[in-house]
Amino acid sequence: MGGCRVAEFFSAHDGAKPVIDLAGVWAELDGRTVLEDITFSLRSGIFLGLIGPNGAGKTTLIKVLLGLVKHTRGTVKVMGMDPRELRHELHHIGYMPQQVLFDPYFPLSVYDVVMMGRICCIGTLRFPGRGDREAVRESIEAVGLAGLEKRPIGELSGGQQKKAFLARALCLETRILLLDEPTAGLDFEAQESFMDLLVRLREERGLSVVFVSHDVNVLARFADEIVCINRTMHMHGRPSEVLGSERLKEAYRCEFDFLAGTHGESWPKEG
Amino acid sequence: MLAYGFAQRALVGGVLIALVCSLISFFVVVRRLAFVGMGISHAAFGGVGIGLAAGIDPLLAAGLFCAAVSLGIGWFSRRGRVHEDTVIGILFAAAMALGVLLVRLAKAYNLDLMSYLFGSILALSWSDVSVIAVVAALASAFVILFFKELLFISFDEETAAASGLPVSFVYYGLLVVMAVTIVVSIKLVGIVLVSALLVIPGAAGMQVSRNYRGVLAVSLTVGVSCVTLGLYLSYWFDVASGAAIVLTLFVAFLACMAFSPRRAYMRRWRRER
Repeated sequence: MGGCRVAEFFSAHDGAKPVIDLAGVWAELDGRTVLEDITFSLRSGIFLGLIGPNGAGKTTLIKVLLGLVKHTRGTVKVMGMDPRELRHELHHIGYMPQQVLFDPYFPLSVYDVVMMGRICCIGTLRFPGRGDREAVRESIEAVGLAGLEKRPIGELSGGQQKKAFLARALCLETRILLLDEPTAGLDFEAQESFMDLLVRLREERGLSVVFVSHDVNVLARFADEIVCINRTMHMHGRPSEVLGSERLKEAYRCEFDFLAGTHGESWPKEG
Repeated sequence: MLAYGFAQRALVGGVLIALVCSLISFFVVVRRLAFVGMGISHAAFGGVGIGLAAGIDPLLAAGLFCAAVSLGIGWFSRRGRVHEDTVIGILFAAAMALGVLLVRLAKAYNLDLMSYLFGSILALSWSDVSVIAVVAALASAFVILFFKELLFISFDEETAAASGLPVSFVYYGLLVVMAVTIVVSIKLVGIVLVSALLVIPGAAGMQVSRNYRGVLAVSLTVGVSCVTLGLYLSYWFDVASGAAIVLTLFVAFLACMAFSPRRAYMRRWRRER
């Protein structure tokens, strides 16, 4: 049922209607306003980088999109629906939280962790079927962890764990990926490997991606659009427009050359 | 020993309790709920006191009271912005104090408090065993039906919630299941020692295996065999059944820890073979 509505949404609008649409969104945490008047939209297949200083409300915004935090004002539409009304449609949204704090001895293998991504569509009182097992294997292969299925999750490196969580986010019929600082804490090589993988999978599957990061170098290279927030909306545009703007310094309340270290003179996205 | 009716009842009841506690023990260990179990079991004394004061079955009152305390612990720690261990520290001390006060006010001097606190092999009647069987069946059914959801929530609650799983229902459900399981185990193991049954089997399993299937298998084996052996020891040495069971579990845990693949000498030994 939910799958049909999502299929209808994507076929009827053929990428013209935004998969995510926020208009004048406000949100509170513990009675404190953390988002004010956020407005932007994300078209199908776009890689959107979400930046802002610490405490800017980036993670809260992701949680609003997932229906985990209620917005107090404005409208939020994910695949044409209010996030709090999403049920089966959640099967089309992959999510990677900022940090999964787990005991390194937690008794789960890579396969078990990726299978968790299927739990919401398996349903209560049911065991994973052949389709679920195949989807998990495909997902593990897609992220390059084939051969490590039986390895305890706590024995993987940080980069491999991130890939396992990406596989978990992708093992449904994922159309939208919400990634909250997925490369945080990774060394340069692991970060490159993760980003190459993400770009390849995004192209192969036509994913729409919201990628929260503090790493403007990464976003300058891979994002189609960047949104900058600091509690309220600051900028939305192409990486060259946003990262070269004076308004970005206002958002971060500091003097900083955001282009230093990027391909500042010839932006890859602009050819 | 099995020629005696009380021993048969203790064995049947003990095995049922061991099965359900070992199953729950897995989640108590991976979700780090050991102190919650201790808090609920000690709070049972308050429930016993209420039962005595109100003139109703002390264990029925303890069951209802512990279920309420477990929900209170869950609610305060999730919504009340108070750390779980702080809430437990407050609630279990207050509930025990209430128990002491009410037992005194009810003038229940003939009550065998020692058997409530440390368990007794003589304590179970066949109707108690029937109650244990019903609670064990219901508690096991909950854990089995929601096993994959419990596993997901224990590992990564935020993503489980984002996937649309009923996180609060499953969390509170587990607490209530723990509470009623603790209460039906009190007669055999005692209020003070029952939380060990909810911790040691799972902890022993975690020492031996790194996969949840293995952990569960070891947890169930350790739980059932130690409760059975503990009851025999309780009979032969005429000691409180709770103490005999817990000490047997402790020895089993030490053995699992000594032979754990986590130990460097065990890894060396495996390589050399």
